[in-house]
Amino acid sequence: MRLYDIVVLVTPDLSDEEATKVAGEYKKILTDGGATVVKDEPWGKRRLAFPIQRKKEAYYVYWQVDASPAAVAEAERRMGLSDQILRHLAVRVDEELKRSAKMAERLKKKAAKRPPRPPAPPAEPATTEPVAAERSES
Amino acid sequence: MRMGGGSGRPSGRGGAAGRDGKGGPRKKFFVRRRKVCKFCAEKLEYIDWKDVKLLQGFIPERGKILPRRISGTCALHQRKLQTAIKRARSIALLPYATD
Repeated sequence: MRLYDIVVLVTPDLSDEEATKVAGEYKKILTDGGATVVKDEPWGKRRLAFPIQRKKEAYYVYWQVDASPAAVAEAERRMGLSDQILRHLAVRVDEELKRSAKMAERLKKKAAKRPPRPPAPPAEPATTEPVAAERSES
Repeated sequence: MRMGGGSGRPSGRGGAAGRDGKGGPRKKFFVRRRKVCKFCAEKLEYIDWKDVKLLQGFIPERGKILPRRISGTCALHQRKLQTAIKRARSIALLPYATD
């Protein structure tokens, strides 16, 4: 089983309920394939950054699922065939998340190892302020 | 006269190179802020492609990806940012190009 982020764009021509129903069909394909839905967030109707099939909006549905690759592949295949799905994207995230967690851990450890070294370089929010001290450090 | 003007003008590239060589503060005017990778500074390891607000900061008006040399992002994070932006584009969260 792998963790996937899946985003589906459903046509704006449908009503709210219909859109969720359409998206639900694909969720069902996933769950039938043995997937468990971790997150289920409908983002609602959103403006598209560019028109797709002459449409300027779409219902965005986001799931995070723990699924087998086969189930995701099947769901994606069916989405591709549907007219009501404008776009869909499934990205495997478990490895990326694990790696970033590891990196965060390592950073933390490094910081703990030698606390006197960094003379408190907090991220300055202002861009205008010229910092002389920071320059000499490099 | 002309020499002085010439050395003062290319503040971006010439300045960076000069600084590398000497290490000291360069021209008296124009103290350039050192650019810091946003993701390193905030310890954001995972760049979420669904986080439109974050990504939008790296998309100038034209819709192109902001280059590293301007944003100051480190190579590793720029690479991650790049794939995040491209994913966001594919589901129309961000534009490919705007005019």
